[in-house]
Amino acid sequence: MSRGHTLTLDGVTHRFGPVVAVRDVTLEIKAGELVCLLGPSGCGKTTLLRVIGGFLRQSAGCVLIDGAPVDPLPPNHRRVGIVFQNYALFPHMTVAENVAYGLEARGMPRGRIREQVAAMLGLVRMEAFAERYPRELSGGQQQRVALARALAVEPQILLLDEPFGALDKNLRIDMQIEVKRLQREAGITSILVTHDQEEALSIADRIAVLHRGAVAQFASPTEVYDRPATLFVNTFVGAANLLRGRVADGGAAVALDCGAVLPCPVGPELAPGAGVVVTVRPERLGFAAGPARDRLAATVRAVLPLGSLTIHEVELGDGSAIKVMAVRQAGEPALRPGDRVHCEVVSPDACAVFPEEDRERGDA
Amino acid sequence: MPERARLDFDAWSFRLVMGGLTAVTVFFLLFPTVIVILTSFTASESLKFPPDGYSLRWYAALLGADQMRRAAWNSLEVAVMATAASVALGTAGALAIGRSRAWWAHALDSLFMSPLLLPGLAFGFAALMYVSLLGVELSLATLTVGHIVVCVPFVLRTTIASLAQLDPALLDSSASLGASPLFTFRRVTLPMIGRGIGAGAFIAFMASFDNIPVSLFLSDARTEVLPIHLWQIIDTHLDVRAASVSAVLIVLTLLLMLVAERLAGLSRHLR
Repeated sequence: MSRGHTLTLDGVTHRFGPVVAVRDVTLEIKAGELVCLLGPSGCGKTTLLRVIGGFLRQSAGCVLIDGAPVDPLPPNHRRVGIVFQNYALFPHMTVAENVAYGLEARGMPRGRIREQVAAMLGLVRMEAFAERYPRELSGGQQQRVALARALAVEPQILLLDEPFGALDKNLRIDMQIEVKRLQREAGITSILVTHDQEEALSIADRIAVLHRGAVAQFASPTEVYDRPATLFVNTFVGAANLLRGRVADGGAAVALDCGAVLPCPVGPELAPGAGVVVTVRPERLGFAAGPARDRLAATVRAVLPLGSLTIHEVELGDGSAIKVMAVRQAGEPALRPGDRVHCEVVSPDACAVFPEEDRERGDA
Repeated sequence: MPERARLDFDAWSFRLVMGGLTAVTVFFLLFPTVIVILTSFTASESLKFPPDGYSLRWYAALLGADQMRRAAWNSLEVAVMATAASVALGTAGALAIGRSRAWWAHALDSLFMSPLLLPGLAFGFAALMYVSLLGVELSLATLTVGHIVVCVPFVLRTTIASLAQLDPALLDSSASLGASPLFTFRRVTLPMIGRGIGAGAFIAFMASFDNIPVSLFLSDARTEVLPIHLWQIIDTHLDVRAASVSAVLIVLTLLLMLVAERLAGLSRHLR
């Protein structure tokens, strides 16, 4: 097996006519790393994948593998494997023939092809299905074959285009574990494109959040979740409550429109009095006994018990609604719609503060 | 209730159309065919239905009809050559324009399909004038070229249709696995569109074999083809051999269709 190779995107930009699909993307991906390109549809992640695969020549910038530019190379000389969402298995070939295809294309001797196919089918635990046709396989089995086929030619980079999108939920988790195992074992540098933030958080070593063709943040899953770089990242990855307000207390707190004053880590670029948006995740809010300056007075609108958790939707003084998540206690819910409550942020670092204009751009 | 009523109406209109089409087909296609076949077994001297008596004498007469055998041979030769050329040209054309969204692809598509819309007679006449203008003598070659023009659209149509069914991700996968464009064509594209090409070739062959309007202008006494010869023997002396050779052609066509259906599931590609 080929041990990891590095992949570098250096200022990659791609335009379709007047539309900029990918905007100055620079990413350094380490050898053996699994990176998720995460973003909503139309964020440019598939375009970027096609550029890396060599199916699309970018308008500007450079793609490098192990530091060497691969831009002039067509897909068949790039040694970049790809697994498509619909698996794209050759329907007129058996499983074994599908896996052997790339080896035959490279002119490997028959005996070695047979060995390599057997080894690959063993790796994905599909030995028993070698003589079946793709239409006779389930979605998960087809995906294993597609992976085996891509890995058989020992690519330097593996691209996975929404690989779990067509699977039902339980199977999806199994296959995510499986892909992670294969990727680790092969030590192959992999790029996974997805719009599913849970998938990205659970599987990736690092996540590149794409927004309108540009990288909004490139960091580890915990970093992306706990310290989102932009308001867009904050709202796209996980749930977030948005609270409007103005910088107060000489930059140590934010006076919210609903009346409360929250101590927050306000960046130096935000002057006192500047309009800001404060974000707090629902699980980092709690209920407190009485009113206080830093507590949000609210009225309960809805109570949704979800097994181990309960989600409360509450309405603030200024009419905006936020969600508060709490560990569910046994028995009937303690709160009912209409109850007056006081919400409290569990710690000052649970809040993130973004300039108001981020929101006005329609990012959230 | 209205939903139910609509369903009933749908079912009713479906039955009406299907029943009507079936009746028309039986009446205008099947009955005449049966009548021709029955007539070919007549024992008498003239085309008459129902025959007074039955014999195989007109089939025996076919064996001695040199001129007809030569015409049949010409037809076969032209049809085989025209089909081969149409498959090569039609497939190549379909590959180039089938996947392209460029304006010129649409323009070429319309241009290549135009022989189907243009009246055959007009094209045959124009082709004859053009050939004599160029000072080229009529031959099997000129006749074949004329047939190619009207046969290519069939191959083009069915091949473009089967290319549209081909998932582009298959071609991308093939390339990413290291396959050259030629390897991809041989191992993925061709097997996937082969049936479409086969269906087109079958229709092209039939279209050439019983083409009249183009052959009428582009063939002469030496290169006479079977449909023209048939027309002439019916026109001049109501020869019963016309019926027996028709029966032979009908049976051969049915056999060819059965073979094609067995080998390639042809009917799925004729839509």
